[in-house]
Amino acid sequence: MSILNILEFPDPRLRRKAVSVELVDDTLRLLIDNMFETMYAAPGIGLAATQVDVHRRLLVADVSTEKDDPWVLINPIILERDGVEVTEEGCLSVPGYYESVERAEQVRVRYMDRNGEEQVSKFEGLLAICVQHEIDHLDGKLFVDYLSEAKRQRIRKRLLKDRKYRQEEQAAAV
Amino acid sequence: MKSGVSARVAAANALDAVVGDGKSLDWALAQSDEGLALNDRSMMRMLCYGCLRHHWQLRAQLAQLLDRPLKKRDRIIESLLVVGLFQLSDTRVPDHAAVSTTVEATRALRRPKMAGLVNAVLRNFLRKEETHKEPINDEARYNHPQWLLDRLRADWPDDWQQIVAANNAQAPMCLRVNPRFGTAEKYQQTHAIEGALVAGLEQALRLDVPQSVDDLPGFFEGQVSVQDGAAQIAAPWLLADGSGRVLDACAAPGGKTGQLLELMGDEANLTAIDSDENRLTGIRENLTRLGLHATVLAADASNTEEWWDGESFDQILLDAPCSATGVIRRHPDIKLLRRETDIATLATLQERILNSLWPLLRPGGRLLYVTCSVLSEENEAVIRRFLVGQGDAVEDRVLHAYNIRDLMVEKALGFQVLPGTEGLDGFYFVCLKKASE
Repeated sequence: MSILNILEFPDPRLRRKAVSVELVDDTLRLLIDNMFETMYAAPGIGLAATQVDVHRRLLVADVSTEKDDPWVLINPIILERDGVEVTEEGCLSVPGYYESVERAEQVRVRYMDRNGEEQVSKFEGLLAICVQHEIDHLDGKLFVDYLSEAKRQRIRKRLLKDRKYRQEEQAAAV
Repeated sequence: MKSGVSARVAAANALDAVVGDGKSLDWALAQSDEGLALNDRSMMRMLCYGCLRHHWQLRAQLAQLLDRPLKKRDRIIESLLVVGLFQLSDTRVPDHAAVSTTVEATRALRRPKMAGLVNAVLRNFLRKEETHKEPINDEARYNHPQWLLDRLRADWPDDWQQIVAANNAQAPMCLRVNPRFGTAEKYQQTHAIEGALVAGLEQALRLDVPQSVDDLPGFFEGQVSVQDGAAQIAAPWLLADGSGRVLDACAAPGGKTGQLLELMGDEANLTAIDSDENRLTGIRENLTRLGLHATVLAADASNTEEWWDGESFDQILLDAPCSATGVIRRHPDIKLLRRETDIATLATLQERILNSLWPLLRPGGRLLYVTCSVLSEENEAVIRRFLVGQGDAVEDRVLHAYNIRDLMVEKALGFQVLPGTEGLDGFYFVCLKKASE
């Protein structure tokens, strides 16, 4: 298993719309295992394939404190939304920023599990928020898109500056 | 000699060596390079590559333009005429310059009496260019020998036209960035290089414009090497489960050897072999530039008794000798030099090498079989026979990086990168795993 590179906003690849997974096989399961490893190491509670530059409809999540409740959603489709909830959200692709976002409180989702079997589950609480956040990724959408233009530009500039600084630091180290 | 003329003379000589004497283009170019100015060298290369890419079309056109075939001893004039026709039909060389330099070249080739004929043929072509455009047969239409077209159609009913088109196109220059210095993306950003990244190949950078390695930032410090993106799939795939004692068989010129070492870290234990002692120099030079170390041996992969110390390998990379039909765009002379009968001979050799290396692999270990061929006889057919013969071998179809799946066509056994896909060369890969005891 290995840790994958996570793309960071404003990388244009985060804007690509992912296509469906056609085949659930060992190659896909290896990707899933690597995504979990990457997510736990980050650390994060959810990760979409888009964030690791694989543009397929696939996400992993684990919102438990013990890190013992892994979820794999392949080709997820939201069937129903219920209620409204505002949560402070952060994102592994937008490191260091947390902002309030409004989402459905509960969602019913159809998806395939890691064995390729079709499932329908009802999610609520943090997992429901997380699943919606990750499905947005698969459509090329980020949580910063829900913020004002001015706020988004500010985050964009700060992250670009941070990255440039980090690169110069790395270059100096070599 | 006027400078424009010497390039045409050199091109005609090189072409004659390939087409007439069956020499390789690399050999012929090296012979003709001597004494040429840098400008003329690139002109000569451009002419040779072009004439070979369009060989059948140009020869058919020439046959139509000549009243009767040229005598055997005028073979060099035939090559010169092809060089002339290519300039008139496919290059931006002004017509008058193409005609005058080519006519002048007859004198430099000490055939001044042929000047009149060359002049007449080229001018005749210009007058009736349109009437000569319609190809007379499939060889002239696709610029491939018939036997190869037949095989491509049989093996790739849906894709053979993509393959043929890619074979006749110019190949891009592709770099491999040493992961110890970061990804290709970082290298591109740091040095503001114009090129394209390939999803799935973190270290590959396809340049928009080819350039000399002398101008590549960090080349001599081992930060970057020249290697096609498809070739870069092999090393990370082989090492996906970690690395142990690794064998790189048929390693010359050492592109994959260098990449294996870049990935293996400082404790690398790699043996690179090639049967051709002369080609080992290339591997050694490559490794010196990269600052990496491997045991490099002149050894025959099909005869392991002569050199194997009896200690098994955890991973084996077999980049088998093959028809190179996946890299025709880089070596257009393959279309002329390869004979259909070579394919069966190569398949026998490939199978023999596979069978002789298999006992060197530890139980549970992996062997990655690689060719730059697109012909199933050298790929799936070899593997199918091998699997029947070796009871403890199975294919491992797990791909280490999900995105490389999009670069390859899945075959019943193994995976094929078709030439031209994402600008890549044509390569075949199959990962074989030995059963644990």
